[in-house]
Amino acid sequence: MAEVTLTNTRKAYGNVNVIHGVDLDIEDGQFVVLVGPSGCGKSTLLRMVAGLETITGGEISIGGKVVNNLDPKDRDIAMVFQNYALYPHMTVATNMGFSLEHRGGSKSEIAERVHWAAGILGLTPLLDRYPRQLSGGQRQRVAMGRAIVRSPQVFLFDEPLSNLDAKLRVVMRGEIKALHEKLKTTMIYVTHDQIEAMTMADKIVVLNGGRIEQAGTPLELYDRPANQFVAGFIGSPAMNFIPGKIRAEGLVTSDVVIPLPRSAQEHVGQDVVLGVRPEHLVAEESGIATLVTLVEPMGHETQISMMLGQTLIHGLFRERLPLRPGSIFHVRLTTDKLHIFSAADGHRLM
Amino acid sequence: MSAGHKTQFWTIARRDSAAGYLFIAPQLAGIVTFVLLPLCLVFWYSLHEWNVLANTFNYTGAQNYRMLLEDPSLPAVLGSTALFSLGLVVLNMSLALLLAVLLNQKLRGIAVFRTLFFSPVVVSLVAWTIVWGFLLQKNGGINGMLLFLGIEGPNWLREPVTAMISVIVVQVFKNVGLNMILFLAALQSVPNELYEAARIDGAPPFKQFRRITLPMISPTILLTSIITIVGSLQVFAQIAVLTQGGPGVSTTVLVYYLYQQAFQFHFFGYGSTLSILLFVIVACLTFAQWQLRKRIVFYEN
Amino acid sequence: MKTELSPRAKVLVYGTMCVLLIPFVFPTWWMVTSSFKPVSDIFAFPPQLIPRSFDFTTYGQVFTLQPFAKQYWNSAYIAAVVTAGTMGISSMAGYAFARIRFPFANAIFMVVLLGLLIPSEVTIVPLFQLFLKLGMVNTHWPLILVPIFGAPSVFATFVMRQFFISLPVELEEAARVDGLSRFKIFTRIALPLARPALASVAIFTFLHSWNLYLEPIVFLSSADKFTLPQALTQFTDAYGGPMWNIQLAAATLTALPVLIVFIIAQKHFVEGLAHTGLKG
Repeated sequence: MAEVTLTNTRKAYGNVNVIHGVDLDIEDGQFVVLVGPSGCGKSTLLRMVAGLETITGGEISIGGKVVNNLDPKDRDIAMVFQNYALYPHMTVATNMGFSLEHRGGSKSEIAERVHWAAGILGLTPLLDRYPRQLSGGQRQRVAMGRAIVRSPQVFLFDEPLSNLDAKLRVVMRGEIKALHEKLKTTMIYVTHDQIEAMTMADKIVVLNGGRIEQAGTPLELYDRPANQFVAGFIGSPAMNFIPGKIRAEGLVTSDVVIPLPRSAQEHVGQDVVLGVRPEHLVAEESGIATLVTLVEPMGHETQISMMLGQTLIHGLFRERLPLRPGSIFHVRLTTDKLHIFSAADGHRLM
Repeated sequence: MSAGHKTQFWTIARRDSAAGYLFIAPQLAGIVTFVLLPLCLVFWYSLHEWNVLANTFNYTGAQNYRMLLEDPSLPAVLGSTALFSLGLVVLNMSLALLLAVLLNQKLRGIAVFRTLFFSPVVVSLVAWTIVWGFLLQKNGGINGMLLFLGIEGPNWLREPVTAMISVIVVQVFKNVGLNMILFLAALQSVPNELYEAARIDGAPPFKQFRRITLPMISPTILLTSIITIVGSLQVFAQIAVLTQGGPGVSTTVLVYYLYQQAFQFHFFGYGSTLSILLFVIVACLTFAQWQLRKRIVFYEN
Repeated sequence: MKTELSPRAKVLVYGTMCVLLIPFVFPTWWMVTSSFKPVSDIFAFPPQLIPRSFDFTTYGQVFTLQPFAKQYWNSAYIAAVVTAGTMGISSMAGYAFARIRFPFANAIFMVVLLGLLIPSEVTIVPLFQLFLKLGMVNTHWPLILVPIFGAPSVFATFVMRQFFISLPVELEEAARVDGLSRFKIFTRIALPLARPALASVAIFTFLHSWNLYLEPIVFLSSADKFTLPQALTQFTDAYGGPMWNIQLAAATLTALPVLIVFIIAQKHFVEGLAHTGLKG
């Protein structure tokens, strides 16, 4: 078990910079999720920690030891790959014990460790099978077994659930989380799926264009996104953004005025983007009139798309509303749940 | 501190590069020794008048190349080479395509036929050639069969035209199985929906073949043609065993002529010049193949 | 084209194939049967498709007229060594070109590919001189060294490279994390998975060596050094005319073992050779 520290870490392929000086502290035993759109550099960053990509600049240390120039095998890490990367020509047991074999463990020792790991993951009846004889979920479990078998200081997961179907993904999500609870080992987990990030992480790191946009607990990111990018990335359905100008009476967008909290007065005259999550819209007769464009009932709630002035926004409502496309619908934006971002650079104003 | 320096030099990337060089070292050394060096030498030799028997080795500049232009046998040799290669490629391609189409049918026992058509590929080349030489004798098996039909066959290997036909046919039957398998694979890669669509459109089988199958497998046909031509330029054993280039020079292809000049008449200098000629021809064809493949790959993407 | 044929069409297809089969199968049949016929019968008219009697004396003569057993051994061991050597050298080089990043890799690969451009006939004169200087003429070294290290192995390298490129990179990364060195990754992960490609390489390398003709007749001059293809043509009478039945017996002995292996493992052969041929 160990903490992981990245200091001004950079990566370039030739002249193309893909990671621009990332600083990140991961505490011992923390479950950290790196999340971001594809191409944001999250996998590259993970592979740099693993030692599969060289480090162009800066420093990565694991357990207080700088590992920049160490081979993956000398970093005391284990990795679970997106496609599992199980050796097709070896049985489950051999796959899981393979790393120990190369670290000079005795046969009985290896067998003992493999059985321990197989027990944790419920793989004991499958030990003599070959990967091709396993289902997707079982392969995923073997890949995790291979990682935990030698009790490394840090686990690295590279989008491990993206090849599973939606239902199995939820199950495996729980299993990985439970595994973390049991082992209490530092885990770094890469995904593009913000739901995975929200549900699993102690700490989420949102990456975009090779830079960290924000790092924090899931609820910090949800409640106080540092900028418009994080606000749009975290939460599903995504946050609504309404551009406008702050006046004394509130936010003015096209011909609509949205009431703002009193504290917004200090930004009067500024061009901003107002952010509001779909669940923070309330149906209210005294609210702003919008034009309904689409009604999507899901049973437990209903998603309604509507035009607020010139902007298309979405709302989630618990109650069943008698609306159809073309209806006029009055909504109120919960004042204390509003986010205001600078229109110029997207950073959070309040 | 010195230890620290050492680890700095042997970065992960450097260690891996070193492994890479170690992995390719034997092959690279072999290529330099047995291909590049000889290629330079053959060019160097081609600038010399070199008779091993007379033990002469004199620099003569382009003399050998002038000789090449004036060599009275060379036009005939090149003619034979072209005739052999063209005959071979045409016959090989058409037969391979015919066999592939037949083998592509859903029929019981088709795998047995495939095995049998392919079998000459694995029969020892010289053994195969010897048997054919035996069959093609004046009183051999083929003329025996023809006599049954009341035809008196020619002395196949002793007349210029039939000798050329013979060497081509022997080579085609030996190796057509390879191209047959390639065409079969190409035929099987044509999506079945295309044929289903064509049938719904009412296209008869022959039209389906001409308008769908042929265009779809034409890249394979083009590429295998060139591979086959390049291969035909290297045919030596069959001719050495069957006809020794005769009668006259009617089956003396370039490789055989090269062998004669260098190793029978011991003109190493002129033999080297002929090697350069062969190299240039093969290089041009291979280059054409690469260009073609690039374009086709691009086209497919 | 994969539709069910009408019965008439089926007969037509079978009929055509049977006729076409004659030149493919008959020579082998004729070779085997004629090798059992006495000299007086081999040119008999009408031709005997099935020999009247089985005469094994020709097979005895094959071994007495020439050191045929020795020649057989020569061909077999040379082919075996060349096959093993090529598999080793080419899989290593193919792996490095496919997987290891090192400076000038592409340039070096292009240089190696030159081997495909240069038929062995082009370099035979200087190679002869080279081996003459090394005192290796009339030894088996040229027939072993050149195929393993020279142009013929380039094709094998190319095939191996194509295969290794298609192998998932993640497997090797997992192996790196598991603590394997480059060499171990190669021997424990990449090579075991490359079995199909190695089988193709083995088959065509063996056949290539087994069929080599120009090189033996250039490099070898004494009968006990000869390889089979060269030996086959040496069964001649005092006037240089071929002793047909003995040649055919020797040819049968040469061709039959490979043919039998082929029939047993024909799927491997056909797919292996077709696979490599397509990429050549």
